[in-house]
Amino acid sequence: MTSTHVAWLALALVLSPVIVLPPLAYDAHARRAAKLEEQPAIDAVARRLPTSDLALSGGARWLRSVSLEEPGAAFADGPASPDPDPAGAAMAPPVDVWAEPSMGYKTEGRGR
Amino acid sequence: MKMSILAFALRAVARRKARAFALGGGLVFAVALLAAVVFLTESLRAEAERAREAHSDIVVQKLVGGRPSLIRFDEASKLQDIPSVRAVTARVWGYIFLPSLQGNVTVVGTSLPASPLSVANGVLAEGRDIAQGKDAHEMIVGAELARFLGMRPGDELGLPTSNPEAHALKLVGTFRSSLDLYTADVILCDESDARALLALPSGEATDLAVTLSNPKETRVVARTITERLPGARVIERDLLARVHHLSYGRRAGFVLGAAIPAILALLVLAWDRASGLGPDERREIAVLKAIGWSTSEVLWAKLFESLLVGASATALGLLLGYAWIFWLGAPGLRPALVGWSVLYPRAPLTPAVDVAQLLAISLSVMGPFALLSIVPAWRAATTDPLETMRT
Repeated sequence: MTSTHVAWLALALVLSPVIVLPPLAYDAHARRAAKLEEQPAIDAVARRLPTSDLALSGGARWLRSVSLEEPGAAFADGPASPDPDPAGAAMAPPVDVWAEPSMGYKTEGRGR
Repeated sequence: MKMSILAFALRAVARRKARAFALGGGLVFAVALLAAVVFLTESLRAEAERAREAHSDIVVQKLVGGRPSLIRFDEASKLQDIPSVRAVTARVWGYIFLPSLQGNVTVVGTSLPASPLSVANGVLAEGRDIAQGKDAHEMIVGAELARFLGMRPGDELGLPTSNPEAHALKLVGTFRSSLDLYTADVILCDESDARALLALPSGEATDLAVTLSNPKETRVVARTITERLPGARVIERDLLARVHHLSYGRRAGFVLGAAIPAILALLVLAWDRASGLGPDERREIAVLKAIGWSTSEVLWAKLFESLLVGASATALGLLLGYAWIFWLGAPGLRPALVGWSVLYPRAPLTPAVDVAQLLAISLSVMGPFALLSIVPAWRAATTDPLETMRT
């Protein structure tokens, strides 16, 4: 490889962050455009839902709808205090220790 | 001249492959982790923002003992004559724990008039909208929930409830899986069914949704509502953006906090770089000086060496971070940021990061790395070449 080739290769490596961005930007643009086509559907379903919060952690009410139930949920117990709820953790709590449904609850089997 | 120095720098990096790979590997990991967390956080925030615009301008809740409580229907009449208020809707919704799911589902009651949901308008994957009325007992559920319960349109589900009058609901449609982020745990039914399932007393609602004819007057109307309903919690739609920033930003902070040991390892590598040059590199600089290179040319060569490693690693890190989140679906990182749940929304994420954030990630890693190489190189370049070669 000649010195000129090595120099151009080196220049390409130095500029590689700039080189890698356009393909990523193109992919991101295509995905955003596809999402934009879904916007009417999102609007239609959002009008029926109580909140725009995402259905991420259905196990904890203050996380399912953080904006409505606990507007200060990010710091409910104190600024920067550890998160008392189970979300935001890589490991789930042991679900097998959860109690069986209360005896007073009415439960019906699913029919087909 | 600079191009020839650049070529020299690349050959120098190639001569010290092992060191370049160690430093570059650490940088790739750090950039990929930082970028992935930012990509995922911004994407989730943007998803919440997409739905925010369609929501009512103000939500009013009643507080009892500092906790949200049920609000009476007649409270709505106190708000209807406020100028700019177009409609006040009492909403019925809440949560039910499903033992078979080991998690909560969100039961949402629909009251008339409601925007239609259909396969044609892209909301439903199959089936139709629920029929309104007390005797319909129909529901639409999220695709993920339907899949988990093994339900198809026509099936019936009896939800656990303390109200013996609550009916089993017939599934008439499922939401499209691309809307999973909003509907994964949702059971949409008639308001009367939701009221029965949630055991809400008649005349009471979960909260009030206020729609304004002029959303710019939100702040004024919110203040008036507070005066008319003392103790009520008034949530403005515009402020929800801040809540989304806080909640997702906090999660990102926790993940990055957990990554501190890895980033510390990277700093140790950088410290190795900053603490001085090896004997081979010193000898190389001395030879360069002896054959006529100036101090600035030596510094340029060393700066280019750092830039070659740093820039390549940054580019690769950005690429890996993007691929991790948007092409592979964020395996490993998604539970940490999204939270655990039985019902995981499977909808693909949409990129929402901007160029400024990418530049910040790149410069925060590459900048210090490049600058750290200058000081030891300058020290070596300013010493006598003969003395260096003798030692």
